[in-house]
Amino acid sequence: MSDHHAIHAETYQMEAARWQAGRNTLAFVALASILACLAGYFLDAPRFFHSYLVAFAFTTFIGIGAFFFVMVQFLTGSAWSVTMRRIMENIMITIPVGLILFIPIVLGIKEIYPWTNPEVVAASESLRAKSAYLSENFFILRGVIYFALWSLWAVAIYRQSTKQDTEKSIQQMHVASRWSAPGLFLAVVVGSLASFDWLMSLMPTWYSTIFGLVTLAGGSLSFFSIVTLVCLGFRRAGILKDAITDEHYHDLGKWLFALTAFYTYVAFSQYMLIWYANIPEETEWYRHRMEGGWFAISIAMPFLRFLIPFFVLLCRAAKRSKTIIALIAVWSLVVEYIDLYWVVMPTYYKDGPQFHWLDLATLAATVSICGLVFWSRFQKHKMVPVGDLRLEQSLHFENA
Amino acid sequence: MTPAQMDKLGIGDDKVYGVIGEFSDPHDLVAAGRKIRGMGYTKLDAMTPFPVHGIDDAIGVPASKLGWIVVCFTILGILTAQGLIYWVGAVNYPLVIGGKPLYDVSYSIPVTFELAVLFSAFAAFLGMWAINGLPRLYHPSMVYKNSHRASDDRFLLVIEADDPMFEPAKSADHMRTVGAAEVEVVEG
Repeated sequence: MSDHHAIHAETYQMEAARWQAGRNTLAFVALASILACLAGYFLDAPRFFHSYLVAFAFTTFIGIGAFFFVMVQFLTGSAWSVTMRRIMENIMITIPVGLILFIPIVLGIKEIYPWTNPEVVAASESLRAKSAYLSENFFILRGVIYFALWSLWAVAIYRQSTKQDTEKSIQQMHVASRWSAPGLFLAVVVGSLASFDWLMSLMPTWYSTIFGLVTLAGGSLSFFSIVTLVCLGFRRAGILKDAITDEHYHDLGKWLFALTAFYTYVAFSQYMLIWYANIPEETEWYRHRMEGGWFAISIAMPFLRFLIPFFVLLCRAAKRSKTIIALIAVWSLVVEYIDLYWVVMPTYYKDGPQFHWLDLATLAATVSICGLVFWSRFQKHKMVPVGDLRLEQSLHFENA
Repeated sequence: MTPAQMDKLGIGDDKVYGVIGEFSDPHDLVAAGRKIRGMGYTKLDAMTPFPVHGIDDAIGVPASKLGWIVVCFTILGILTAQGLIYWVGAVNYPLVIGGKPLYDVSYSIPVTFELAVLFSAFAAFLGMWAINGLPRLYHPSMVYKNSHRASDDRFLLVIEADDPMFEPAKSADHMRTVGAAEVEVVEG
């Protein structure tokens, strides 16, 4: 077959000119948005830190989503994803940047988190009891440990995958799987702790065990949305057109669908149990979001998060349509941002959401910085794990 | 039993079921299926030990109706649950429990979800049986000497006798030309 040979002739290396164009755009956005962030910091520091926290959580949990699902691909030995696994891994490898992106959170800790205020802690018995855990130094130390652990695992797995490009041995697959099994615990358990620290402690008296899963589910959905959009963007530019086929897009559509359902399941579980138990210190969190302008977002969430994407993606033809999955991917990313905004901002604006240019600037900053790391990998490595023994299988994969 | 029913069950005197071709590799099966279909045959079947990706498309199996059956029962499950909760809690025996409203969407969701899943699962399982005409103890393909290996290590392609193009000797030849290792005209 002629197309068969065309696939073999493919080098899976991004052209230098194209790579540079992408890097220049990202570097420009990064530079401009960092300057805007600095200006925002001097103009309105508390607002900057809150906006930044939303943007920081947005990119960090996408990285954790990538981390989790790359490890799942190794553990299940899945062949379908091989042609797009390098794209997933390049998103995963943005995790170490979190150590730098965490710095503004450390600087703004007093502005963001109410438990840093001794008067607030002294007034509440439950906060006094939590003070050993919710202390500034321990909070910072934990953040550093989280990122250090994730980075260690992400880099170890990434190295095996890129080593396989040249070694073409099954050995790297085995080593990567061995890292992946404990790595899943690291992604979910440490990921939950991170969401407790960074997002849940905004209202330090509130607690919800499932909150970590809700955050991770949102991050995972955003991760698959980004994979979908990157693949479709590459396709439009004529890159990896033969490697990522309709069948692969169908599977991405299934993941968008599955994670939409999973997110709803865990987010609703959290809401329903709190609603039913009706304990004041638990309901307080939702109470804040049922008041003023926040109520509109709260009531829209079931539609934004579940009803619309779920029923749009329900039938097979929709999951196989590149236009529809592209729309749902953009939709999911926008809704994820609104969701995180709705989690963070009610501690700052009690009456309702207020848009600020810093929201865009901080988001552009974290996304473009992670984007630069993501993009830089395409120069250093092949765009597809060419040494993976299942590559041929993945190229010709078809859905049952 | 009418002759038509007997035909459907593959029993009776002179009933030819079809031509069975045997393959040892799933990819060969898909390729052969595609070629046979290209010759103009429309009534094809395949028997494999595991789901072979791409075979439905290759031999022109239409999309399953099962999804629509399941969706109908899912909606029925949702309506049943909502009706049950509303009728029991707010109509038949209104009783305030824990200060909660007599009916509220929040607590109706878990039961609605469970009943939707339960109805869907039953619809999928029983619907699959109904569509496949199960349970049945006999199928004419069982006459083929290697039919038991279709659940082990062989992949069977069938040109059914119902096919308008079907002619035992000619179809068997066609089956040989697409690479079947063994070919047999099977009478059920």
